[in-house]
Amino acid sequence: MNSANQPGDKRYYELLEQLQAIDFVLVELNLYLDTHPTDRNAIEQFNQQTEQRWAIAQEFESLYGPLLNFGHSYSGYPWQWNNVPWPWQV
Amino acid sequence: MYSQIRVYYPYISPFDPCPPIRVKTYQVNPQLFIGFQPENLPQFSPMEALRLGTLWPALYSPYSGRGDQEGLEG
Repeated sequence: MNSANQPGDKRYYELLEQLQAIDFVLVELNLYLDTHPTDRNAIEQFNQQTEQRWAIAQEFESLYGPLLNFGHSYSGYPWQWNNVPWPWQV
Repeated sequence: MYSQIRVYYPYISPFDPCPPIRVKTYQVNPQLFIGFQPENLPQFSPMEALRLGTLWPALYSPYSGRGDQEGLEG
């Protein structure tokens, strides 16, 4: 986590909001695809959004540390999972 | 775009103990009229979808309170 970006700065919230929007779209598409398994365009869009979500999460984690724990995200050194800000402080 | 709120006027008995609610409202959301969702409906942008609560404008259903708190008298 380089010194330029501290958790809670503008870029932090920008990335989080983009991630939130992409996640919502993925939830909607996932539920839609549950009942429309043959909709090719929706599946393509879902895969594109998933790829994009990975890119945003990757950038966020490289700047501010893990988003998830228990092996769903990498951590830097020293252990970053219990760093501030906690979710309710964001 | 037609309104998604419809009203009905309950019967008010002369023996009602409490002040009558003359007008009551209920929501008729788009999904009642769409049935099985067709493919390739137009979509909102991710940011808009997050704010509006749905990815498809056809299913957008804003809710701004029952209206009877503000005394929606018949």
